[in-house]
Amino acid sequence: MGKIQTITLQEAAGLIQDGDMLTFSGFTIWRRPMALVYELVRQGKKDLHLFEVNGGTHTEVLAGAGAIKIWESCWVGHELYGKLGEGVARSQVENTIIVEDYSHAHCVARLLAGAYGLPFMPTPLSMGTDILNPAYDNLKKAGLRDGSNPKIPKQKYLMYEEPFFDKGALVLVPAVNADWALIYASQVGSEGTVRVNAQTYTDPEAIKAAKKVIVIAEEIVPETYLRDDPTKNLAAPYAIDYIVELPWGAHPTGSQGYYDVDADFIRQFYAASKSKEKYDEWAQEWIFGVANHDEYLEKLGVSKLEKLKANTVLGYSTRMKRGSR
Amino acid sequence: MTAKNELCKPGEYKAIDLLAVAAAREVNDGDIVFAGTGLPMLAIMLAQLTNAPNAVCIYEAGSIDGRPIDLPTSVGDARCAYQGSISAGLTESFYGQLTCGYVDLGFLGGAEIDKYGNVNTTVVGDYASPSKRFTGSGGNPDINSYARRTVFIMVQEKRRFKENVDYITSPGWRLKKWPSGEWATRKEVYGKYYQGGPEAVITNMGVFRFDEEGIMYLDTVHPGYTAEQVKDNCSFDLNISRVTGETKPPTYGEIELLYTRVDPEGIFLP
Repeated sequence: MGKIQTITLQEAAGLIQDGDMLTFSGFTIWRRPMALVYELVRQGKKDLHLFEVNGGTHTEVLAGAGAIKIWESCWVGHELYGKLGEGVARSQVENTIIVEDYSHAHCVARLLAGAYGLPFMPTPLSMGTDILNPAYDNLKKAGLRDGSNPKIPKQKYLMYEEPFFDKGALVLVPAVNADWALIYASQVGSEGTVRVNAQTYTDPEAIKAAKKVIVIAEEIVPETYLRDDPTKNLAAPYAIDYIVELPWGAHPTGSQGYYDVDADFIRQFYAASKSKEKYDEWAQEWIFGVANHDEYLEKLGVSKLEKLKANTVLGYSTRMKRGSR
Repeated sequence: MTAKNELCKPGEYKAIDLLAVAAAREVNDGDIVFAGTGLPMLAIMLAQLTNAPNAVCIYEAGSIDGRPIDLPTSVGDARCAYQGSISAGLTESFYGQLTCGYVDLGFLGGAEIDKYGNVNTTVVGDYASPSKRFTGSGGNPDINSYARRTVFIMVQEKRRFKENVDYITSPGWRLKKWPSGEWATRKEVYGKYYQGGPEAVITNMGVFRFDEEGIMYLDTVHPGYTAEQVKDNCSFDLNISRVTGETKPPTYGEIELLYTRVDPEGIFLP
């Protein structure tokens, strides 16, 4: 936390070190900091430790590049546009990453604890499932719960008989405090106040729980505009460390009020993600083959972007073909 | 001219139409429904237009009681939040709504299910060395563990209706008490947090419910199938002694609503 710095995409990615623990804004295929994720791959980051409430297309871009060492989450896929997270799945089957499965609400609780400065959060959800099977604690099996890494809790969870109301056992899940929250936001004020449209997902918790926060902003707007209606804002300026202004920075994921999910692009990526060779060809074309974000947008083309652009009243595109009719 | 409340004849609707219609009929008017992506969305939207006009929908990405005018393609979709009563995030949906106790009905999918209603959406094979990974749990077990009733919509296949699922992602009526791992009933595991559990499973072949012991039985068979055919598409010994008859096919009115109001773009209904 400190004075906000406006930096370039390359500088932002350059701040992330191999082995750092990351968490992200967004939800599956919405509001992911895609441009920054591409740049992480371009810069060859590796051994990343991801904690994410849910995964999505950005996870798969990193998994395909072999950049992930540990993935703690509950879900990865591309919703309707790609039913599995092929890169994570392949890495788990081939045993090249450590997967730690929690439930979605467990992940939320872990991030909430981290955001609120508490060591753990109780939850009565998803009890009785194999998520809590001690034999399936992959970080423990890898010998990483010995306390030597402060970012890895010494236990995956604890069943706890609460003593106040005698309601019985429930699950305590440990806090998570990532090194970095990589956030895509719709609007950032000139002093750093952050706003998103529609659902907030777990963006406020991700911002608060992380040690440092980089925001990729669709646009930087006058601070006074955001402060005229503070009820719509997510975070105060002092919660943010770095800002990159980058229109279309969440593409191909969607951003409410700005653009829709690029279904065709994600379908093509999903097809490519099914093998290492095809992923590498895809990455050569869309990550390494473009020098920067401007070239990426030029390659997508104006007519494509116009179709994705949100209707300014509804907040989503009404011009793209979504189904078979 | 056919009346809108007249039942379709065989061949006048697709299997997926009946899935959506049968699921919609599980919604009671006034239910607060927590729905997942896909067919559950069609079902709740159809129910709101037919038998349950006062039902409301919560999606896990944080849209509370939205009134979408265009079908969302995922629960994080901008369309879910349109005209919402609250637009918040996952802390609100899971803790501000679900564990708070508002949710009557969870509407979910799954890759594999066992006779106790335990659902697997995580891996095929031994978790330590799986042969395949699915998406993972998402909010399926969370919604299923705290909604008062849960309805699953699934594809009927022998390999999906298993004696034991490879991984219990989402809790059924008989599951494991951790950390010991002993089998226990859902009521034992959840204790005072017990709300209810899986009520029905709807597939392309029939509608299943759970008996007093929490074991799945066949309730109705979809038109064109026999109970024996459904049993043949289960790996466990399915109880077909309680079949009450044939699943009511869609009405012409329901089909019209599905294709003109719920999914006019052909997103889930090709």
